[in-house]
Amino acid sequence: MDLRFTEAQEILRKMARDFLTTECPKTLVRELEQSEKGYSPELWKKMAELGWMGLIIPEEYEGMGYTFQDLTVLVEEIGRNILPGPFLSTITSTFPILEIGNEEQKKEFLPQIARGELILTTALLEAEGTFTATGITTKATAQDNNLIINGTKLFVEMAHVADYIICATRTKNGESPENGITLFIVDSKTSGIDQEVIPTMAMDKQCEVRFENVAVPRKNMLGNIDEGWPIIEMLLRKGAIVKCAESVGAMQTCVEMTVAYSKERVQYERPIGAFQALQHIMADIWTSMETARYLLYYVAWLESEGMPCAKQASMAKAYINEVYKNVSKWAVRLFGAIGTTYDHDIALYYRRSKAADIAFGGTDFHKELVAQGIGLV
Amino acid sequence: MDFELTDEQKARRKEFFDICRELEKKKPPNLVGLETIYDHDECWEFHLHCAKQFAQKGWLSLAWPPEYGGTGNMMDRVLFAEARGYHGIPGVDVFGVGMLAPTLIQAGNEEVKKEFLPPIARAEIMWCELWSEPNAGSDLAALSTTAIRRGDEYIINGQKTWNTGAHRADWGFGVFKTDLTARKHHNLTFILLDMKTPGITVKPIPYMDGGRPFCEVYFDDVRVPAKNIVGQENEGWAVVNTLAGFERSSLTEIMSLVRALEDLVKFCNETKRNGQPLSKDPVIRNRIAQLACELEAARALAYRVADLQNRNEMALMDASAVKIFSSELAERFVFTVTDILGPYGQVKLSRWAPMGGAWEKMYQGCFVTTISMGTNEIQRNIIAWYGLGLPRMK
Ligand SMILES: Cc1cc2nc3c(=O)[nH]c(=O)nc-3n(C[C@H](O)[C@H](O)[C@H](O)COP(=O)(O)OP(=O)(O)OC[C@H]3O[C@@H](n4cnc5c(N)ncnc54)[C@H](O)[C@@H]3O)c2cc1C
Repeated sequence: MDLRFTEAQEILRKMARDFLTTECPKTLVRELEQSEKGYSPELWKKMAELGWMGLIIPEEYEGMGYTFQDLTVLVEEIGRNILPGPFLSTITSTFPILEIGNEEQKKEFLPQIARGELILTTALLEAEGTFTATGITTKATAQDNNLIINGTKLFVEMAHVADYIICATRTKNGESPENGITLFIVDSKTSGIDQEVIPTMAMDKQCEVRFENVAVPRKNMLGNIDEGWPIIEMLLRKGAIVKCAESVGAMQTCVEMTVAYSKERVQYERPIGAFQALQHIMADIWTSMETARYLLYYVAWLESEGMPCAKQASMAKAYINEVYKNVSKWAVRLFGAIGTTYDHDIALYYRRSKAADIAFGGTDFHKELVAQGIGLV
Repeated sequence: MDFELTDEQKARRKEFFDICRELEKKKPPNLVGLETIYDHDECWEFHLHCAKQFAQKGWLSLAWPPEYGGTGNMMDRVLFAEARGYHGIPGVDVFGVGMLAPTLIQAGNEEVKKEFLPPIARAEIMWCELWSEPNAGSDLAALSTTAIRRGDEYIINGQKTWNTGAHRADWGFGVFKTDLTARKHHNLTFILLDMKTPGITVKPIPYMDGGRPFCEVYFDDVRVPAKNIVGQENEGWAVVNTLAGFERSSLTEIMSLVRALEDLVKFCNETKRNGQPLSKDPVIRNRIAQLACELEAARALAYRVADLQNRNEMALMDASAVKIFSSELAERFVFTVTDILGPYGQVKLSRWAPMGGAWEKMYQGCFVTTISMGTNEIQRNIIAWYGLGLPRMK
């Protein structure tokens, strides 16, 4: 057991931190929130040059061949600084291609992703708003060499700028809701697709995507027909861990900013950090952050080593969702009124804690998976 | 970053678990929570039985440097603590093995080490901690029991309190005022004493559950050889702080909760209410899942602390974090489980009590870790001052 970052991970961390600090100041973050695209193509290009999009893509497909654990190290830094845009949607959409894609699909997509030439996203949620299989009703029906997709997907991150959308569809009404789901890699420029950005708290460009008789060639099917649910489970598991890494990074900033401010802000002739009521709150949010951090590291290690960890990933997501929301809430409270303003960075983190909670499954959704995982019948 | 144990560690871990599993079969039914070893004679006997067995295997001195008969390996101690926690096995004197021994190794002179370490490793002497006084709790340095030097003896007068297991212990380590004029923190000496010395009176204090885990200890002209000190005269405060750093391993408590969770899941799967197993109730599922998540987090953090300890890099705040989190998780456990048990959650060990009456006991026993060894509020001060560097208000 050695719970230190490896030297390569330390280098990755430092590089990411320095890069994001200079290239992605909070003024840019707020600017991007207000912009139509929601990301900066120049910044995207620089990230591609650093190899970030291809970090976990094997070298044979022009990637860097790093591990999943390495990826979470990078994502933690991204969360720490906040990086708006399609990085996480692209990376998480790469998982199914990597794990289930056939050779042809890998050759077609992975090198382009690694070079930063493609933006990807995944469309899971629909009107019901749940990550359970019952929520998937968008239909795909066979017609010659194509499948024709009809339906509406919701909360699809960055779909308005994505080149490809990994779309979960229902291809059969099987005995169980999990049976009969199929995933497709859909070219977003196919006729019949239409998007609209949903206004959200984090202004992070989650979209409604409408499919009207959208023809997708059969060769763009991921895995076998009707057998897509395990892919979604994998995606939810890995996506949850990635999201946890982002949240842990974000809470680190919240704690650091709060502690620093409490040493500066003077009321009653002393820094507010000298009040024990606030000291104990800070001790508590720091402690909860540390528990979240090592739970994340543990789960990321399990996943990276290829060990079964669905239960632990759900534990981490359920737990870290709440810790991040609580840490950022206390951060705003300790800043007082200034923390509630649009231009203050701490409010940025607070707004994003809700988005982080929802993505890849909220607390109660994952807790139910934990209940099953620990053996409650 | 790597959580994997070496093959050797895995083998050790298996051996620890195998032995503890066997010992569990002989555990007295009224041994519920490790504090109960001080309550009942048969529990204390079982404690000594386990201690002897561990001593024979050299497991009481695991993390000691090789020159004192240990392996020098912290990780072994962690794995041993896990096995004992999971199976609820005593046999490790928290005061002698857990606190005094590492303190002596770090701060004792050669003579004291030679005299006191071997009997600890052989489980021949059980210890108690004589620190708190009626008017010196968190503010321990405000204590007033005196030890006045007369020739080659100290003469002790005064009163200690809340001393766990003082009625069972052979020896005690205490901190006493040895200079009546010097400043606070510069007037204390750390002294080792035989509990059978004339002039010592031990009075057990009933705990709220009727047990007798701790005592008042009165000193009336108690004469102790002057050589029985650790560190220098009037420099006992440094020794106190060293010892306080050797926390009871939180992993023991965490692993006992891991076991409790397994037992709880089994209970909920097998127990019907409203015509269906408790496990089908969505509220119960959700509440138990919450505990499972927090427990996994506590465990991950405990490994982090073990890893730091292993490399001698542990900061005060890290130990405080695990202490706060695991003790308050135990509180949440107790409150949740007794809710789920409904009227049965209040029943003492008897034919009506589910799960061996453990929860009635733990509902009252959960203060042991939140209050003793520095209250959780004091731990929060430590994180705030020494960890986060927040200003200390005078
Ligand atoms: C089960 C049990 C076993 C024990 N075993 C032993 C033993 O073996 N040997 C021994 O010597 N002692 C033992 N103790 C005593 C223990 O160390 C003390 O109870 C503890 O240090 C707290 O002291 P106190 O009880 O006097 O509470 P106080 O110090 O009076 O504290 C009362 C309350 O005030 C809070 N408080 C105090 N100071 C501060 C501060 N600066 N900031 C914020 N809050 C503060 C505390 O957190 C607590 O909530 C044991 C106690 C218990 C409950």
